[in-house]
Amino acid sequence: MIEVKNLSFVYSPKTPFTTQALHDINLRIETGDFFGIIGSTGAGKSTLVSHFNALTKVQKHSGTVIVDDMDLSAKKVDLKKLRAKVGMVFQYPEHQLFDDTVLKDVMFGPKNLGLSKQDAEERALNAIALVGLDCEEIAARSPFELSGGQKRRVALAGVIAMHPEVLVLDEPTAGLDPKGKREIMELVLRIKSECPTVVMISHNMDEIAEYCNKIAVLKQGRVMGVFSPRELFGSEELLESCGVELPLVTEIAVKLNALGVDIDRSVLTEAELFAAIKKAGNYA
Amino acid sequence: MSFLEFKNVEYSYIGGDDEFISALKGVSFSVERGEFVALVGCNGSGKSTLARLCNGLLTPDSGEVTVDGKLTTDKSALFDIRKKIGIVFQNPDNQMVTTIVEDDVAFGPENLGLPPEEIRARVDWALKSVGMSEHATSGPFRLSGGQKQRVAIAGVLAIKPELMILDEATGMLDPTGRREVLDVVKKLNREENMAVIMITHFMEEAAAADRIIVLNKGAVAADGGKELFAAPDVFTAAGLDLPLYVRVAGRLNEIGMNIGCPLTVDEFAKAVADKINGRAGAKK
Amino acid sequence: MRDVSIGQYYPAISFVHRIDPRFKLVILILYLVTVFFCDSFFSFGFMTVFVLVAILLSRVPILKVLKSLRFVIIILVITTLLMMIFYTDTETAPLAEWGIFHIYLNGIYSAIKLGWRLMLLVLMPTVLTLTSTPTELCDGLESMLHIHVLAIIMSIALRLIPTLIEETDKIMNAQKARGAAFESRNPFKKIKAMIPVLIPLFVSSFRRADDLADAMDSRCYRGVKGRTRMKKLKAKLSDFLALLFWCAVTVCVLFLNYNWFGWTFIAVLSI
Repeated sequence: MIEVKNLSFVYSPKTPFTTQALHDINLRIETGDFFGIIGSTGAGKSTLVSHFNALTKVQKHSGTVIVDDMDLSAKKVDLKKLRAKVGMVFQYPEHQLFDDTVLKDVMFGPKNLGLSKQDAEERALNAIALVGLDCEEIAARSPFELSGGQKRRVALAGVIAMHPEVLVLDEPTAGLDPKGKREIMELVLRIKSECPTVVMISHNMDEIAEYCNKIAVLKQGRVMGVFSPRELFGSEELLESCGVELPLVTEIAVKLNALGVDIDRSVLTEAELFAAIKKAGNYA
Repeated sequence: MSFLEFKNVEYSYIGGDDEFISALKGVSFSVERGEFVALVGCNGSGKSTLARLCNGLLTPDSGEVTVDGKLTTDKSALFDIRKKIGIVFQNPDNQMVTTIVEDDVAFGPENLGLPPEEIRARVDWALKSVGMSEHATSGPFRLSGGQKQRVAIAGVLAIKPELMILDEATGMLDPTGRREVLDVVKKLNREENMAVIMITHFMEEAAAADRIIVLNKGAVAADGGKELFAAPDVFTAAGLDLPLYVRVAGRLNEIGMNIGCPLTVDEFAKAVADKINGRAGAKK
Repeated sequence: MRDVSIGQYYPAISFVHRIDPRFKLVILILYLVTVFFCDSFFSFGFMTVFVLVAILLSRVPILKVLKSLRFVIIILVITTLLMMIFYTDTETAPLAEWGIFHIYLNGIYSAIKLGWRLMLLVLMPTVLTLTSTPTELCDGLESMLHIHVLAIIMSIALRLIPTLIEETDKIMNAQKARGAAFESRNPFKKIKAMIPVLIPLFVSSFRRADDLADAMDSRCYRGVKGRTRMKKLKAKLSDFLALLFWCAVTVCVLFLNYNWFGWTFIAVLSI
């Protein structure tokens, strides 16, 4: 469980370049949530989540972040414990690969947690299998020889091997083709069965609508609200005031509505859209 | 003679395991002035290699590439060829040469050796064409991905090429950025009669083109107009995802709705609405 | 804010900011030469007054200037003290002595002069970098020295360095998130800890360099041959005035410093 209380953050304080990235943010992420964070470029999404594992320190008198029972505004935070608890996958995570074999690269995290070589290797192999790669074929290869999609999976495995309780994903599907995007999202769902809480930043409303159960909308460093996908995408006023784009399926439903078809405008997935059209047209 | 011609082009490179990887296997096609072509294929289909062969960044192992009758293997013709064909690349961060937008757009015309007033005029025109005039004096770090790519397009535009190639130029952008770039490209094709080759794996973008070339494993799998979408197997066989509404339309056709093959969201909504409203009307 | 992460540019609208970078550079050279010629307290004082005026005109807070000089000031104080302690004078008696250290009146004078001179030497370049962006300085140099390759190299460096710094930051964060510790005191461990950062950084730098080379080639770059520039620096009247003013200051300082030359000069005039 992550609780954000009155969190503010200022970049380059006391210089001519000062910018306030976060204003008085309050959020609660429960165990089991698939929590979406959306907002335009520069809304403060990345700054916010980088607080969750103390990559960004909570500034003085700027609220706090509580992860389980750890208060991250405290003077001393047990970073090792925190980073084992909150796994963070950055944008284009394949850019962090460095070791000469896939196995060693994935073992980097577990070893930093102080695990023995054997334990680390076991976790690494499990993680590689979990992300859908063939251990025998790939473990001994150099990560730099792999295809783009494979590299991203290896990078994900590197975080999963640390057995986090919360997985934070920053644009996990950025730069992939549609097929690759779908595969990664299916993978995230599979991971969610072992790491119950997932936080995802995304610009892709289709993904947000399909996978998240709660969505926080950020605008210029402020939280505009936390909604369920149906609440958010079903309400014209909310979308307008938050400046949020529609997922493609919802956009189609809205267009059908406008053309006089009686259809629920809060459909969120391809299957729901198909079912809704089928129902509206009385097809068997 | 066609403006751009590929005749039986073969190209291979040395891969990670020191083996030759054949990227293009006997590719032939031609593009005329003013055409809007989408070149689609999944990752590893040879699309980016093809882009680099067009303006002599790469030269074919066998076969030939000609631009306006000039061979790309002729070193003395390269400058002329590059004046006629501009390329916008995938990563918006790796194309800007200077720290100020307008200086970057000026880079191409400066290389052409034009007088300062002419360069100024072209830069202003190019930035206006892509809708970035108000950002002329900003630095790249304040721009969104879509804006950076529009600047990159302006940089190519200022050279006044006859053909612009976008090498997965939308691949790293969010949906908003993708739409911005696609709109600009469509406008340039329509208003400036500039030929466009849009290399992409987003089928929604391909649907905007007049002609579609499908590349599968280094060979041309199909080359034709929008009618290709009517028999979409050629896309799926090439590892491509169809646009969501084409998929849904396919399923609706299966249950007897017969809405044909709509190519845009609006066409889809209209086709569905006509059917459903017609059915409701018939019942009454 | 990352646009200016190299150098220490302080954005403000001021007379000093607006001076043509070429004139700023000429004035700087003139200034440095003058400081070398200065030898009397009077001329040092005179120069200091004008540097202070320049800082005031630039609207950069004086604290900011001193802050950017804090390390230099420490070195300066140490040098001055050493000079004072180790100065030997065979003609006058020392004012004080402790063991092998002797303090002479002339020693104090020389030390203060040295310190003051060094201070003056570093102050003005600081004002220059606080009031001009790296791009401006680079354009100035290019147009004065006609080294066009320099302009391209500098421009690309200025463009890419902030990107690489940002990238380093990202990779470090990614590895920290995987439990990497960069805080180790042991230098060997520290270097080892940097490997997971350095390798990805190299990989990405090469990729960027490749991409950029392709992009430049595609935009008709064929070296500096036949290249023209859109922006040409144009000197304004105020630039000439600033230069003229500074020439006057230089002459004054030289007069004050070598006052024998001054008297002769006036004597020559009166004849």
